[in-house]
Amino acid sequence: MNAYPVHPDAAVPLAAMETLLPVLFRALGGDPALKLKPAGGHGAHAWQDEATLYLPESIALFDTAELNRRLYLWLAALSAEPVDETLDWLNRNRVAAAACLARQPGLAAEYRSLVEAFLALRPEPDSLPDEQRLAELAVRAALTDPAREQPASANLAGLAPVPLWLHPNPPRPQAKPDAGANKQAGSAAPTETPDNGPRAKQGDKQAGEEKKVALTDFKFEAKPRWEDYLSDHRDNQGGGEGGQGDEEKGPRATGAIDGDDAPPATSGMTYGFAWHTENDDTPLGPGIKLPEWDCRKNALVPDYCLLKPMLPAGASRQPLPDRLKSLARHIQRQFQALTPERSRKSGEFNGPDIDLDRVIRFFVERHSGHAIGEPGLYQAWPQKERSLACLLLADLSLSTENRLPSGHKIIDVIRDSLALFAEALTASGDRFGLYGFSSIQRDEVRFLVLKDFSERYDDETRGRVLALRPGYYTRMGAAIRQASAVIAEQPAERRLLLIVSDGKPSDLDHYDGRYAVEDTRESVREARALGVTPFCVTVDQEASAYLPHIFGSNGFVVVQQAETLPQVLTRLYAQMTR
Amino acid sequence: MTAPERELPFYQPVGDECELFEAAWRQQLPVLIKGPTGCGKTRFVAHMAARLNLPLITVSCHDDLTAADLVGRHLIGDGATYWVDGPLTRAVREGGICYLDEVVEARKDTTVVLHPVTDDRRVLPIERTGETLIAPKNFMLVVSYNPGYQHVLKSLKPSTRQRFVALAFDFPRPEVETAVLKQESGLDDARIAQLVTLAGQLRRLAGYDLEEGVSTRLLVYAAKLMAAGMAPRRACRTALVEPLSDDTDTVAALAAIVDAQFAA
Repeated sequence: MNAYPVHPDAAVPLAAMETLLPVLFRALGGDPALKLKPAGGHGAHAWQDEATLYLPESIALFDTAELNRRLYLWLAALSAEPVDETLDWLNRNRVAAAACLARQPGLAAEYRSLVEAFLALRPEPDSLPDEQRLAELAVRAALTDPAREQPASANLAGLAPVPLWLHPNPPRPQAKPDAGANKQAGSAAPTETPDNGPRAKQGDKQAGEEKKVALTDFKFEAKPRWEDYLSDHRDNQGGGEGGQGDEEKGPRATGAIDGDDAPPATSGMTYGFAWHTENDDTPLGPGIKLPEWDCRKNALVPDYCLLKPMLPAGASRQPLPDRLKSLARHIQRQFQALTPERSRKSGEFNGPDIDLDRVIRFFVERHSGHAIGEPGLYQAWPQKERSLACLLLADLSLSTENRLPSGHKIIDVIRDSLALFAEALTASGDRFGLYGFSSIQRDEVRFLVLKDFSERYDDETRGRVLALRPGYYTRMGAAIRQASAVIAEQPAERRLLLIVSDGKPSDLDHYDGRYAVEDTRESVREARALGVTPFCVTVDQEASAYLPHIFGSNGFVVVQQAETLPQVLTRLYAQMTR
Repeated sequence: MTAPERELPFYQPVGDECELFEAAWRQQLPVLIKGPTGCGKTRFVAHMAARLNLPLITVSCHDDLTAADLVGRHLIGDGATYWVDGPLTRAVREGGICYLDEVVEARKDTTVVLHPVTDDRRVLPIERTGETLIAPKNFMLVVSYNPGYQHVLKSLKPSTRQRFVALAFDFPRPEVETAVLKQESGLDDARIAQLVTLAGQLRRLAGYDLEEGVSTRLLVYAAKLMAAGMAPRRACRTALVEPLSDDTDTVAALAAIVDAQFAA
């Protein structure tokens, strides 16, 4: 398929560039929501679709690693340019390249070196049949001087591929009626490429449209159901919430939120699923009744939810897994350096500052003849514990079972994040608690106690973190209310409630859409009123559509690469509490 | 005797902030300025103080700053004590702008002493001396802070916030930033345009890869280094890339963005 020689010695794998290229791409104008993925089976081309920027898995086109590296940089820069879809393939790339070079003059020299080396690899125009010779000359001209205009007529079929350009016919879900230009460009492009992408076109398109539902629409959205996960979550490689299109099948009892009727009394119904397996988490006590905000009534409905504190099942004492050890050591060192808050202590016998009030009193007393020995005249600043408590509340809903592009499950990343976070906070000496939650309707809000504030973080509590499994749905309001109540009791000047989430609040019943968002927003407001600072860290790339409404524009961050959550979480904590 | 004519510190207005500030001053209203670091808050206050011909007393707040540091304290001299005004008291006594930079960094009890001077009483009670100062007409309190998500645990109390009229600052628009860089560094237009393009690109990363976008202040530094003859890549590495991040991967990525803009 590849017409060019391969230089394994000089090969640069995408993995070596995967931290750099997305940053470059975003900075130069690329869509920040896109994930970087290796392009499998598409030669050495780059392209993008609704969710992903594809770059070659490895580049070994040139005989030096430096040139191969430059090609990666060039492809990332070129991908960030807006593309004029009305042009044919050659001109589309030529115009984009010209624009890219005009805006990034620093790339010019490197681009020239790339083109020079690349043209040496292409067949001599004179060695080609007449028609191909003209096409080859056109490609060469477009590469050498992208700013020079070219006619759109060149038929490029049969030519060697051009890995300096974007994919001639990317597997993009564009079933637009005016795809004529596209099609033509595709057929006129070099022979190697046109085929379907790894993802079904129709499915992609649906997913893309589904995602564009803005919060303000308050549309009642379908949600993934338990049995869907049971049947197909293992195949779900896409990473998104598989939340579309199955409204009609299955026994769903949902109340339309804009309807007049009261929420259906679905409590107690189990839909015939075995929710509680033998291996279920251990409940602690009868549960806690909590209110819920009903945005239709504009009122808090008391005792509406039943929250059940639980201990995770199957937990045993565990040391820190080896794979986390070096990172944990690194983070612990950083956290030991967090300087504790100091407080002034008066009447010390030595210290860096003079205690003026006492000195004055001492002088006055001495003048009046009542000198009283050698009083403490200094102020000291003894180190005090940082007066800070943090409660980390992790979303353990079923969607955390989804896989990330890298193949890891979100739940694995959350588990590691919790484990590292706990190591870090143990090093800093701050008071902290770890909790997780999921829900199956209003009378089963499962509140997993991983590490209570009063407990030490040791093998026992670590074992509970490492035994975490995905639960059910996301009744976030109730969980936030309970977490706020727990942290509000902690004796500390500042109380931080960190919520780690992977998606919108939603539950099986009417807890969805606007209702769920408004309840969560109300619970956040209540938390603030208790003197708690709530903050949400999410891996949901669509979160900017609803989180500002819930947490305020400075109340959350979206983590671009979910895999980095462990590091991001501890870094955020350090930033926020310094 | 009139004060010597002060040189007006350069400030490039972005909108009507100068008029708003002047109106607040005339109506004796305290002003709160919020905005990211290095976007020109402090320069703006210096500019306005000079323009209104007011003395400016600036206090950079930090987490050990106490109420006494603002109001004043007794000192000992020759067997007696005497009172020394703090910066806030001095401004209230003599008139002028008292500017508390990064006010959220100050200890929480500190901001409470601001309350009586910021409402319609405009008085400053000094507990230790028993005085109550009445602020003159030309006294003005200005505070600033950076409302980024990194500071969620350090925001102002609503009871304090609601005593100020507030101006929101952001990084200037490209044409304004171009004018600022030109004025501050004297660098040639072509490279200033490149720096401004680069700034836009780096700011796209704020919140994702960077804590905050690159400040106008850093751009001025880079422009000054380039105007002094430093190679652009080197100047940007020193003045932009390294100050923005300590993370090796991020530094490498930022350097690649710089290299895409400035040729070696």
